Amino acid sequence: MSAIQQTLGLAAFELRGAARTRWVMIGAGIFAAAALGATFSGLRSFASLGLAGAGAATDGLVQVTLLLPPLIGMLLGAGSLARDRERGLLAMFASQPISRTVLPMGSFLAGLLAVWAVVAFGLGVGGLLISTVATLAEVATLAKVVVVALAAAAASVAIGVAIAALAATHQQATTAAAAMWLLLALGLDLLLAGVAPGLRLGPSGLLAAVLVNPIEAARVLVLLLVEGPGALGPFGAYLIDRVGRAGAVGVLVGSLVAWTLGPLALAAIAIRRRDI
Amino acid sequence: MPSLHDATPRLRVRGLKKAFGGHKVLDGIDLDVAAGSSVVLAGDNGSGKTTLLRCIAGLVAASGECWIDGRPLDRRPSSRRALSYLPQTPGLPGWATGSELLELFGRLRGRRQPLVELPEGFLPRLDQPVAELSGGQRQRIAIAIALLGEPRLLLLDEPTANLDASGFDALGGVLRRATDRGVSVVIATPSPVELGGTADRTARISGGRIVPPIGPAEGSADCEHGHEPEGPSSPRQATG
Repeated sequence: MSAIQQTLGLAAFELRGAARTRWVMIGAGIFAAAALGATFSGLRSFASLGLAGAGAATDGLVQVTLLLPPLIGMLLGAGSLARDRERGLLAMFASQPISRTVLPMGSFLAGLLAVWAVVAFGLGVGGLLISTVATLAEVATLAKVVVVALAAAAASVAIGVAIAALAATHQQATTAAAAMWLLLALGLDLLLAGVAPGLRLGPSGLLAAVLVNPIEAARVLVLLLVEGPGALGPFGAYLIDRVGRAGAVGVLVGSLVAWTLGPLALAAIAIRRRDI
Repeated sequence: MPSLHDATPRLRVRGLKKAFGGHKVLDGIDLDVAAGSSVVLAGDNGSGKTTLLRCIAGLVAASGECWIDGRPLDRRPSSRRALSYLPQTPGLPGWATGSELLELFGRLRGRRQPLVELPEGFLPRLDQPVAELSGGQRQRIAIAIALLGEPRLLLLDEPTANLDASGFDALGGVLRRATDRGVSVVIATPSPVELGGTADRTARISGGRIVPPIGPAEGSADCEHGHEPEGPSSPRQATG
């Protein structure tokens, strides 16, 4: 049996577990409710201004989509390996004739598919509501949001798996994952807003700050794809001037890919080296 | 697979050392286990029995060397294929059914059939989630998982935990059939008496080392320091 088949077998098993335990369902329910709320309030505010279309609803959906699924992804990624280690199941897995790399990869794949299902469910509900008023162009915009949301979710699951591979206990892993999400989703933004003027970071400093934060990179990528560089102000003008629109998209996508592959590599190294 | 009388032991451990922080748990373990023989690792709580099994299973990094049938044991999948490990707390997920677990581990081992046929009634209903099973029933499933594939060495950490009298008997029979097929078994337990005549000899761990047996009830007098008597005349002596 090849390592890929072993990874798929393990992922299918973990995914079945995620589906049978309530947490993924609860996460999907909360995200769907938030997506529905954001879409509905966006549509109402647009309609109250006498405007047609789904612009505000899509904006609301973007904010919700780049906050909740990364949290769910990080918690899912951090949970499985750490929990399995704590209860002894990881020792049973690791003593099988498989490469240890299979363990974090299987965990990642299961978490990825679970969080993608959450995103599909939540955005499906929101998208259904939007589709009643949206133009074809707005549906295409929503599709771009979905793709970026899936990429951000992948990065968050990978970060969670890396945290689990490094943590000593399940509690430590989930606490660290929640803290990481808080830092990436809110903390760095607030920190940047506070210190950027004082430090005179400039556009290149801001770009670096965006690239070291996958959630921020996803947010900027969505803005770039949906509303264009104008929505990013002077920073967007700098970005387009330096690397062009396609280059900017490439850099931001590259950041998300690096934030997925980097943590996975770290998890694989940690699991191979440490005692189980 | 080497015969029962092969001079190369199935398992050879030399100078195995492991410390957690500054605390030495294993301090130069030497152990030989012949093909088709079974050894009980006895010792007080915290004496290092579990750590020794985990080191041999490749779960814990340690200094020293382990060989299986003359080949170094390492963390490569090919090394792992030769052995099977039952942890002290298998921690089977409550949502999974017994058949799902056996299916998964069978796939990972590359063979879904057990090493030896399990007695009828040994396993509980396999379509029930583990959460609905008793501790003993869960242990029976974990034992069945450990027997999947074609391991040449079984490392069992307190396999009798939670088992009732019929479970003890059934496990004893299964292990005897396994050793009859040339499989070697190493069992860690704090109370070797529980295992009755299952094992050929007892190796007691104390102070991080395997110490000479202290009496006939503890095991054979000629397995000092964990080395099994070599050669074709090696007796298989029952413990307890």
